[in-house]
Amino acid sequence: MVKYTIKRVLMAVLTVFIVACITFFLMNAAPGNPWLAEKTPPQSVIDALNEKYGLDKPLPEQFAKYMNNLIHGDFGVSIKTQKNRPVMDIIVEKFPLSAQLGIMAVAWAVVVGVPLGCLAAYKRGKLIDSILRVVCTLGVSLPGFVVASVLLVVFCGGIESLNFFPGTFSPANGIRGYILPCFCLGLYPMCYIARLTRSSMLDAINQEYVKTARAKGLKTGKIIFKHALRNALIPVITYLGPLTAFTLCGGFVVEKVFGIPGLGKFFVQSVQALDYPLIMGTVIFLATFIVFMNLMVDLLYKVVDPRINLAKGGN
Amino acid sequence: MADKKVKHSPIGSLQPKIDDILEWNNLDFTPATKEEKEDFIQQRKSVSYWRDAWRRLRKNTVAMVAMCVLIVIVLFGFLGPVLVPYGYEEFNKGAENLHPWHYTLEDQARVNAVIEERTGSAALDPEEAVAQAIAEAEAKGETLSAVQQAKIRANAKAAAEKAATEGSEGLSTKEEDVRAELGVKAKLGGYSNNELQRIANGEKVFPHLFGTDKFGRDIMVRVMIGTRVSMIVGVCAALLVLVIGALYGSISGYAGGMVDTVMQRIVEVIYSIPEVLVILLLAAMLSPVIQEYSSSGGLLSGLTTVLGANLISMFIAFGILYWVGMSRIIRGQVLQIKQQEYVTAARALGASSGRIIRRHLLPNCIGQIVVTTCLQIPSAIFLESFLSFLGVGVNAPMTSLGSMASEALQGLYSYPYRLLFPAIILSVMILSFNLFGDGLRDALDPRLKK
Amino acid sequence: MEQNTNTLRDDLVVEAPKDGKLLEVKDLRVSFFTPAGEVKAVGGISYDLNYGEVMGIVGESGSGKSVEAYSIIGLLQSPGKVIGGSISFEGQDVLAKSKEEMTDFRGREVAMIFQNPMTCLNPVYTVGNQLVEALRAHDKSISAEDAKKRAMEMMELVGINNVARRMRQYPHEFSGGMRQRVMIAMGLICHPKLLIADEPTTALDVTIQAQILELMKELQKKTHMGIVFITHNLGVVAEICDKVSVMYAGKIVEQGPVNDIFYTPGHPYTVGLLRSMPRVDADSYERLIPIEGTPVDMLNPPEGCPFAPRCEHAMKVCLQKMPPYVELGDGHRSACWLRVQEQVNAKKEAGTND
Repeated sequence: MVKYTIKRVLMAVLTVFIVACITFFLMNAAPGNPWLAEKTPPQSVIDALNEKYGLDKPLPEQFAKYMNNLIHGDFGVSIKTQKNRPVMDIIVEKFPLSAQLGIMAVAWAVVVGVPLGCLAAYKRGKLIDSILRVVCTLGVSLPGFVVASVLLVVFCGGIESLNFFPGTFSPANGIRGYILPCFCLGLYPMCYIARLTRSSMLDAINQEYVKTARAKGLKTGKIIFKHALRNALIPVITYLGPLTAFTLCGGFVVEKVFGIPGLGKFFVQSVQALDYPLIMGTVIFLATFIVFMNLMVDLLYKVVDPRINLAKGGN
Repeated sequence: MADKKVKHSPIGSLQPKIDDILEWNNLDFTPATKEEKEDFIQQRKSVSYWRDAWRRLRKNTVAMVAMCVLIVIVLFGFLGPVLVPYGYEEFNKGAENLHPWHYTLEDQARVNAVIEERTGSAALDPEEAVAQAIAEAEAKGETLSAVQQAKIRANAKAAAEKAATEGSEGLSTKEEDVRAELGVKAKLGGYSNNELQRIANGEKVFPHLFGTDKFGRDIMVRVMIGTRVSMIVGVCAALLVLVIGALYGSISGYAGGMVDTVMQRIVEVIYSIPEVLVILLLAAMLSPVIQEYSSSGGLLSGLTTVLGANLISMFIAFGILYWVGMSRIIRGQVLQIKQQEYVTAARALGASSGRIIRRHLLPNCIGQIVVTTCLQIPSAIFLESFLSFLGVGVNAPMTSLGSMASEALQGLYSYPYRLLFPAIILSVMILSFNLFGDGLRDALDPRLKK
Repeated sequence: MEQNTNTLRDDLVVEAPKDGKLLEVKDLRVSFFTPAGEVKAVGGISYDLNYGEVMGIVGESGSGKSVEAYSIIGLLQSPGKVIGGSISFEGQDVLAKSKEEMTDFRGREVAMIFQNPMTCLNPVYTVGNQLVEALRAHDKSISAEDAKKRAMEMMELVGINNVARRMRQYPHEFSGGMRQRVMIAMGLICHPKLLIADEPTTALDVTIQAQILELMKELQKKTHMGIVFITHNLGVVAEICDKVSVMYAGKIVEQGPVNDIFYTPGHPYTVGLLRSMPRVDADSYERLIPIEGTPVDMLNPPEGCPFAPRCEHAMKVCLQKMPPYVELGDGHRSACWLRVQEQVNAKKEAGTND
């Protein structure tokens, strides 16, 4: 177990490092520089700014310096979007809102998706299964921005009797402000989980041990919830890792549509503005978070499925 | 026949009495010939894998409907722009901000007459006022500058609004109310007044079925072009993923051993990279580079100009990151098939690697490959629209469904259909691909059918 | 009767077996409604099983053995459906039972063990958990501790050592043979009157097969339960069964006491099966003779005898009509026109003699 965990942690660190490399060289490969605005400042100013932020040095040196600072917990300062503000500060300010949204979305997706999937599997071939199947396929086919915009038009648009929810997000609106964004963010994962649960549930139901359980004379409920569900949940748990990544990145769109001042909206801005340290900081932070979630899911997966022998490295 | 006679028998239903049998007189106890034996069994027609799959697919109503919808969408995207006489970046002057419906000139006149009556003064339509002013100016031999025109327009608008709010006798002078009062109904298809006039003059004018945007561009043509772009992106990305994934996966699975281990480590790392994050970066960062390249006139610059810089960077992103899932599936299949006895048997008989791959591995993987590729298309379209929506997808002169939706966000409340049309087409397209892919999976691999 | 069953459950070892019929199957027909058409998996079979009797059902894959067994215990799943006939267990009509009654019936009255012990135990629960669960499904009043004790006794009974530790282990920590023992323990934990064993030894090594057979024989002697033993291995049948039904293409072609089947087989298919099996008492030169050809397509079952195309004695009548059963001795009957011909000839001779 320990050996396996260590191995996975090392892999995770490597992944984050690779992401950092890709990001660093990509953003530096992009033409232009952070100082380009409507009025391009004179070359002397640009040189001075470059020198101030260490952008005049060769790339490998910059990279090495950045990584060194990073290890010491220094993410640098924003050089454009929020001038001279420490990147970590910005992340700490913006991330909790994104995380809140994400957690709520994941929660409702799992809480609704798993039972729906079970229901569909149990009623396989019946009308309700067909309906759920189409609805869930629709759910995974609707891009987040479509759902978000349509909801915005319906609930915050011209028809006043439907205006239950505020159109733009502000903390003052309390829980009502969260409902629409959470719904949008969670819709795709919910439908995906329902589909996944249905298919893995059917897989489990067709297993021989379910036949054994039936032959033992167990009640249907016990067969479904004890024998089939636990096995069926293994793929669903595996999906939780990618799901985290999805909600974080899907959050970008939802944050844009609803005008939520979260990290995602901010990240897109910083990419467009070429705010180097801010891009690096955000990417590394998000990547670490996602990779960490993947790691947790992996370890959890080994706990749920006793067949996997951790001592042998999980193979 | 035997069944009827045995009800009294204690054991099985097939237990007649010998006496009864004796009464049957056509018992032929002569040996049967070989031919007779062979004729005896009506062999089921053996059906090829593809024909069998096609039969199953045809029975799947949902998949067939999805396929028809897809064909319609393809026609819409590829044939539509040819049939509609507007270009997707053509500014139709005088036809800005049209709704997908119109009122006939007569109805408009009726409505205006009523409003005029109620407000006591003629509330000129801004455009009419401008036209009038131009006519007057021309009569004097002068031309009006754009600024002057705008001024006149603004004045007329203000006057109209003023008139609208100050209705006399408590009767509404709002256009909508008057229309409702007079029972004036909107007609399908957007026409500007100018175009309506041309129709009245006997010209044939194609309607703006989906309306126009603020530049007077026909939304339907733009949706068609967007559909085409999304479709092409989806299919090309899926093919790209297929080629890279299939090659990588089959090499890794077939080679096994050390090669496999190393290749799988690479896959693991790529797999855990948050792909959307990197794609976002790639799309944003690479496109200026490619733009530069295409203007530099290099060897492939023609190609890059046609596709647009963002599209290419998206393909690169796909090529770098998205093949991982496909390669895993293919590798799993190859590993599984490699262990099958018939492959061992073929190897024992001295078949070469090439022959084993051609004769055994490929035919057995092909179903999975087709299905995965088919399901890759909607996810590519999904991602393209996602990126376009965030503004790092398809470049400006080109359009895509995602970027149209993004543009439509500005006037969302007044022109919701600008979002709705591309959104509906996009969703229906992805839905149909998904449903068709599901159907295909069920048809190609009956064991997977749930 | 009811009181009797209760006492049965309290002791591990049952006294003398009762007389009479435990299971009676009459003209059972099961069909699978596939997209390609109706597959008549079981086309009208009848047999009965007395208390404490072991019956073997022999036949090749696809002959409908398992389907027939599943319909007894109510495990038949869509698209399979019983379309005719009756099954009665201790005089009760099994097919008429409601879903809940069937649930209670399974495990309590009839238990079943399956072919592949590798996949029949749930990988995510401990063996002990699954054993206790089987017991508590039918005995709600039993305390957790008692149930655990019973489960451990059962495991000891089927020959598993170190029971306390084994109870806490997961199925993947058991070998194939051990898992089959667990399956047997699980089946017998509620003292069913009938055990259906669906090829319980097929997936095991030959040496393990012998052990499991030995165990089942021993347990049968102790508990006097009836066993329906499904197999394609005549050797196994000789080992454990009292009587045998030979199935071919969804029909029982021959049925009778085990000795009759082995020494005076009345159907060419049985003869074929016996000839394809190695024998200790055979002459050293005797070759194993396989049965030529393949089974018929159950989607379009022919009018006549399904075995006719593979039968060396096939006659014209075989291709036209399904033969009736002919009694060959006490409880020994066979469905073959050859036997009919013999009887017809005998009758004719008797007629001329008269």
